[in-house]
Amino acid sequence: MSTNPVVHVDNLALHFVSADSVVEALKGITLNIGPGEVVGIVGESGSGKSVTALNMLRLLPRGKTKIPHGAVSVLGRDVLAMGEKELQKVRGGEVSMIFQEPMTALNPVLRVREQMFDVILRHQKITPAAAEKLSIQLLQDMKIQDAERVFNAYPHELSGGMRQRVMIAMAFSCQPKLIVADEPTTALDVTVQAQILNLLKERAKATQTSVMLITHDLAVVAQLCDRVYVMYKGKIVEEGVTRDVIGDPQHIYTRALLNALPEGKTPKSRLETVAAAMIEGGDKVAATPITASAQAGFTQFGRAQPLFEAVNATVRYAKKYNFFGRPISYNTAVDHVNLSLYEGETLSIVGESGCGKTSFANSIVGLVPLAEGELRYKGKRLQDHDEITRREVQIVFQDPQSSLDPRWPIWRIMTEPLTVGKTPGRSELRETAEGLCQLVGLDPRSIDRLPHEFSGGQRQRIAIGRALSVHPRLLLLDEPTSALDVSVQAQILNLLLDLQEKYQLSYLFISHNVAVVRHISDRVAVMYMGKVVESGTAEQVLTNPTDAYTRTLMEAVPTLERAFAAA
Amino acid sequence: MSDVKSNPAAIIDAAKNEMNPLSVQGRFNRAKLKQVANVEIVIAFILFTIIVVLALFGSFFQTHDPMQGDLMKRFYKVGQDGYILGSDHLGRDLWSRAVAGLQWSMACALTANIINLMIGTTLGLMAAEREGWARTIIRQITDTLQSFPFMVVAIVVVVIVGHGFIPLVMTLGLLSWVVFMRVVYAEATSIYQRDYVKAARIAGVNRFAIMFGHVLPGVRASLFVIFAFHFAGLLIAESALSFLGIGAPLGVPTWGNMLAESRQYLLKAPGMLLVPAGAIVMAVITMNLVGDGIASLSRKRGRSIDV
Repeated sequence: MSTNPVVHVDNLALHFVSADSVVEALKGITLNIGPGEVVGIVGESGSGKSVTALNMLRLLPRGKTKIPHGAVSVLGRDVLAMGEKELQKVRGGEVSMIFQEPMTALNPVLRVREQMFDVILRHQKITPAAAEKLSIQLLQDMKIQDAERVFNAYPHELSGGMRQRVMIAMAFSCQPKLIVADEPTTALDVTVQAQILNLLKERAKATQTSVMLITHDLAVVAQLCDRVYVMYKGKIVEEGVTRDVIGDPQHIYTRALLNALPEGKTPKSRLETVAAAMIEGGDKVAATPITASAQAGFTQFGRAQPLFEAVNATVRYAKKYNFFGRPISYNTAVDHVNLSLYEGETLSIVGESGCGKTSFANSIVGLVPLAEGELRYKGKRLQDHDEITRREVQIVFQDPQSSLDPRWPIWRIMTEPLTVGKTPGRSELRETAEGLCQLVGLDPRSIDRLPHEFSGGQRQRIAIGRALSVHPRLLLLDEPTSALDVSVQAQILNLLLDLQEKYQLSYLFISHNVAVVRHISDRVAVMYMGKVVESGTAEQVLTNPTDAYTRTLMEAVPTLERAFAAA
Repeated sequence: MSDVKSNPAAIIDAAKNEMNPLSVQGRFNRAKLKQVANVEIVIAFILFTIIVVLALFGSFFQTHDPMQGDLMKRFYKVGQDGYILGSDHLGRDLWSRAVAGLQWSMACALTANIINLMIGTTLGLMAAEREGWARTIIRQITDTLQSFPFMVVAIVVVVIVGHGFIPLVMTLGLLSWVVFMRVVYAEATSIYQRDYVKAARIAGVNRFAIMFGHVLPGVRASLFVIFAFHFAGLLIAESALSFLGIGAPLGVPTWGNMLAESRQYLLKAPGMLLVPAGAIVMAVITMNLVGDGIASLSRKRGRSIDV
């Protein structure tokens, strides 16, 4: 390592203080980032990784935080001793930041032009003409083909990947010495994620900029970082060269984190959860034998009647209207899809955003009408939506923030489907809710709480509980784990597998996460531009894809294995 | 409330926002803002209580009969001979008349506001829930109504239907619900997009249960805020119409009528102008403060619940 680190944090502790409590967010951490180095900081939500980065720029309110001991220096200067004026120069000038959500980080009412000018002119003394030239150059460096168009576009006219490229271009605009990237690709599709990560790495190497990458995704770290720090509950539990740390983890927590990844595990086995590992302190091997349901699923292909069937299902959205408000042209979101799903089986639909997988799910539950074709449930037309099919087909949404009414206590949320058509008593409903809580692994005493008092994983459990309240046979799972941390994801996947085994549920699992799909599915269908391009058993589709698009998709997935092969 | 302040996750989010080069928030001191807001709420509460008490139990505080004049005691000054705020050109007590005017104005604005609230909310919810022709018609009506200057329409209508409490209330009530409809429509539309409403629909929950269980509680906070602000607007409208002589019947002690009477005696008895004008200003400021207070309270609550 270099003698002059860009960032040096020495035995830093940080507490959040309020009138009635003290939260120890950092408990004495030491880290270094050298010039031109890409360093990953891995940990779950609440491990202190964001706090470390924010404190480096003194962005945490001073009244609410206390630093009992430790030192932070950026480019050899003591950040803790700096005044607000000096800090302003460091922020955005010498150190810049990339955020997770490119949609919220860009101002929707200003064009990219104005936003880039704002940043460039604030930190550099150049003419607007020169700034324009520089901006376009920066966008071209981000491999944006039509840089001129993007430069004059509003954020909503750009795709998520394009927005993130603009953010990165802006981050590089003032020749920073260090870029702090906070989960820069979590909100993006896999193929886009791969491009963005490569760009970030390339630009960093080309300009000799150091990168501090904050993430919970070990596969991303493996692909991008030279060195890695693993954080757990405010401490750095392990550090070292990426290859060593991931290839031969020393600390229990790192091992637990790796074990929680579905990648490389026996499909349908229970994943080891981090919490369990930390309590037991041992490193039990996670893989238990294949569950009965999985075997049942495999043997059922030959069976006569599928539980659910889609025949030439087509969904169209009106694109243009004529003078009288009648649609004259359409976008086809789902294009003649044929699929079938058997009792007790998990069928996954994989694809990137915009491929039509969510539209397909919405058509099954009746939120979107079918333009053509038919959906059948137990041989009956599903479009008719009679009482029984409506009960037996339930859905779990991706975002547990938006899927629970923030004003309702959870007993009311979980039992809402039971109030359809009849009015059971309050105590009866509460009792049912308690039972559902136990079923999905929540404390039955918490049924009077509001959704905001629960974590993301717990909220997803509540959503699953609501779906189960009416004893469904088929559960649509629309990206149920993509908003969650790896270890929480493992818990939810375990819960789903347990429930499937217990009740012989069928799952239609929609996801873009190939590792998760491989873990949970019996069969897989790959969707692209509204069509199913390939389908078959999970093993067959994900390991030996025959379709060109499927191959591209599989190659884009960041895996530990591939990262090491490349290194 | 304290959990918002001490919640590290909230602090981290706020700090991230600060680092965003484009964020406009966070430039000023939030803590200070909160203190100011609290003082404001206290003042609003005190003023509001005074107004409510005066409106309900006004007769206890009136020192004279507001209608009964004494021509021997015209144009008394403030405090002269038991006339707290002086007397007018017919020797009537200005303080007692101002209190009577308060009762009249409050009753008028409150009734009109409730009518506004009911019409606006119903139409807003209907437009948000129903796509197609129902939405189009409701939005067309709203746009049409909004495109006319409210006071001009109100003057024309009042001239046609005539004087008095009921005509005035109905005019104000039926013509100025646009703001309620707009806000309810906008917020309800966004709530109808949330996954929890989708989940309820999929489960087959009846649309009225969705409307009253999920959507209406979601817009409730905003309704309180508009109710307060709109109240202030209605107070002004009522006074303006009375001032023009087409609101309250002549002779009824209302702020608008008092202002109208004061015109001839501006130099001789400025109190005749200043008393009703001051009353209007105080009432409007109070209702605006109340609106601000409700807004900042619901924002604080919203942060711990919605985000």
